[in-house]
Amino acid sequence: MAVPVTDPARRVHPVKARHFVRLKLRVIGNNFRGQAWRAVLFVIGSLVGLWLAATAFFGLAAPGLAGEDRYALLVAAFAGGLTVLGWLLLPLVFFGVDETLDPARFALLPLSRRTLVTGLFAAALVSVPTVAVLVALSGLVVTAGAFGGWPAAAVAVLGVISGLLLCVAAARAMTSAFASMLRSRRVRDLAAVLLAVAAALLGPLQLAGLAAIRDTDWDRLTGAATVIGWTPFGAPWTAGIDVAQGRAWAAPLKLLITVVTIVALLAWWSRSLESAMIGTASTGSAKGKPEVSGGAVAQLFPQAAGWLRRDRFGALVAREARYWWRDARRRANLITIAVIGLFVPVMVNVGGQGFSIDSEQGFSLPSDTSPLLVSLSMLFVGLLAAMTLANQFGFDGSAYAANVIAGIPGRLELRARMVAFSLYVLPMLVLVSVVMALILGEPTWMGFMAGTLIATFGAGLAVNSFVSVLAAYSLPETSNPFAMNSGAGVTKSLLALVAMVATAATGLPTVIAAALLGDAWLWLGLPLGVLYGVGVALLGSYLAGDALDRRQPELLTAVTPRR
Amino acid sequence: MALRGLAKRFDSKVAVAGVNLDVPAGSFYGLLGPNGAGKTTTLSMAVGLLRPDAGSAWVLGRDVWADPVEAKRLFGVMPDGVRLFDRLSGAELLAYHGLLRGMDPAVVDQRAAELIDVLALSDAGRTLVVDYSAGMKKKIGLACALLHGPRLLVLDEPFEAVDPVSAALIRDILQRYVTGGGTVVFSSHVMEVVQRLCSHVAILAEGTIKRVGTLEEVRGERSLEEVFVEVVGGRTATGEELSWLSR
Repeated sequence: MAVPVTDPARRVHPVKARHFVRLKLRVIGNNFRGQAWRAVLFVIGSLVGLWLAATAFFGLAAPGLAGEDRYALLVAAFAGGLTVLGWLLLPLVFFGVDETLDPARFALLPLSRRTLVTGLFAAALVSVPTVAVLVALSGLVVTAGAFGGWPAAAVAVLGVISGLLLCVAAARAMTSAFASMLRSRRVRDLAAVLLAVAAALLGPLQLAGLAAIRDTDWDRLTGAATVIGWTPFGAPWTAGIDVAQGRAWAAPLKLLITVVTIVALLAWWSRSLESAMIGTASTGSAKGKPEVSGGAVAQLFPQAAGWLRRDRFGALVAREARYWWRDARRRANLITIAVIGLFVPVMVNVGGQGFSIDSEQGFSLPSDTSPLLVSLSMLFVGLLAAMTLANQFGFDGSAYAANVIAGIPGRLELRARMVAFSLYVLPMLVLVSVVMALILGEPTWMGFMAGTLIATFGAGLAVNSFVSVLAAYSLPETSNPFAMNSGAGVTKSLLALVAMVATAATGLPTVIAAALLGDAWLWLGLPLGVLYGVGVALLGSYLAGDALDRRQPELLTAVTPRR
Repeated sequence: MALRGLAKRFDSKVAVAGVNLDVPAGSFYGLLGPNGAGKTTTLSMAVGLLRPDAGSAWVLGRDVWADPVEAKRLFGVMPDGVRLFDRLSGAELLAYHGLLRGMDPAVVDQRAAELIDVLALSDAGRTLVVDYSAGMKKKIGLACALLHGPRLLVLDEPFEAVDPVSAALIRDILQRYVTGGGTVVFSSHVMEVVQRLCSHVAILAEGTIKRVGTLEEVRGERSLEEVFVEVVGGRTATGEELSWLSR
């Protein structure tokens, strides 16, 4: 009866990548079980994604369909390069990475690192965005085929597929490396500074780039496209076009570049994967233990919140303020706000200035950097900053039970969370307006810029309070601050869209005021903006607090991760 | 604490199918049940963490679901499988809980220091709770539940994953609390602890109460474990299966 167990290795079936893919599909499927609305959201999101992809497909196929030979390389290099760049950066700043299969879960299984990486990689390929990108960039195959016939089309197919692999590998490697970097405190602070510097540099770069586009003709652009085509960013996408345009020798070289890059990225990923797997054992950074000073209450309140009364409200604010810094997931969000907050307005406004410098031959004040344009970009920053709170209860997870048990009134809870978040964001917003005023050389604009920022931020707080109470979702308990569930990905994007539109609508009065009041707005902007922001935020917490009172237990269930 | 017809279903699965339970004041009440019997679900509904599909929960004469603010003031809870705000240190966590309960800061300071001392957590200093061991997490959770001096303690699996030394300490504190007039309700599947501590026992299986009464009534002449296995309907291994485990 007893089966000999002397040689377990002999009967073990090797683990293949398809097992991981099947596992992922099964997990996604189980996520939908019994939650029809999730499935519906997923389908809607997928359809929107595919629709966008189809649009992009025709855009990329356009040169081929129209027979415009000279645009083919341009389109392939720039569109493809932007795609890779997007996959590299967007997960970091905005969307997070689908961690349906958390690498930490595999730590105890006897799998070699190679098996694990190929398996997880294969599983990562099974997602809506990859399908969407595949559909979109298949347009290049049409273009290549139109000019070079079947051989070119075949090479283009190879190129697009390998390019897609490159995108996914890049996204995985970046987020994984970034996540393990963020775990060590010193590197984390360094990364924050570096990101901020990089963002600050992007403005001037943008300016130079736009100026270059302005006074170059198509030949220069084609030159740039050729160069991009030889980097990993453009190599996979341009291979097919090269064959079509009679440079068949370039195709194998470019595919080689792509493959080497993919292998290098996977190797990098597998290295950081190891630390991600081990790192989950203790997610909190073991800090040095300075001597305990003062009573328990004094310890709870950080210095920035020292002015608060020692009561329920104060405790809530203090705890939230501590969490924004100590929780890696929240801190990643703060860094994102800081980077985007500086990057977007500089890009929009200084980019516009770039054009005018060029056209008016001089540094005379650009006509198209108007208070209106600045207001719009400020609107966007304020909106984005507040959007971080859209799932504020999801950050807490099941720990939110403590507040439910204590019976915290919803209004108090929401107001405290707004205040704690503002402790970090308001200084940032002021900084953004100061920096913008300096860059634009318009110190007098500082006031209304800060006013617009604070007004939209306040509007965003109000809108996102509702979103966070009514549409919370649970975040996986993992060490990767960029991780999220696949079902939640689509939900998150849709909710973000709704919240953005609502916030923009609520913040619109500031832009209208900027347009109507003209010069007076320069002086009235700050006081009116602050008044409006604070007022709307308070109103929001008042109304959303009511909703929270009614559905505290439901909210707790929503943010508790299913295990 | 009185529970009347509490029921909850998740999707198609009935987790708790109408639980009636009366916990007399001053009793040490053990809620026994195998894994998945609905212990956590029942206690969550009793303290206002999970909305029941039917039934009501009363604590010291107040309806938990009709008058949550007043009722919640009266009891302390240590949920299981729920994270604490674990990126705070032990002292910070206690201060947070104390202030949430609307306590005077000076009293919070004094009680927190005492609790940390008694529960032997002072060595941890500023270590974040997330880095605590399982036993330490249970102890700080208990401290949070005790801090505001409630009349009723509801503890979900207070002895799970706790080492014998910490378990003895927790037992000690709970016993003293009951002697001082407090009421404790806790869930467990460790027979030995229940037998040693409890004055009253209820056995919960498949979402309904199977046996209820004082320890003596439920146990009769036998050991609690025998009664429990019989009620729950366990089976013992015959020795035929799993034979590959022995070489």
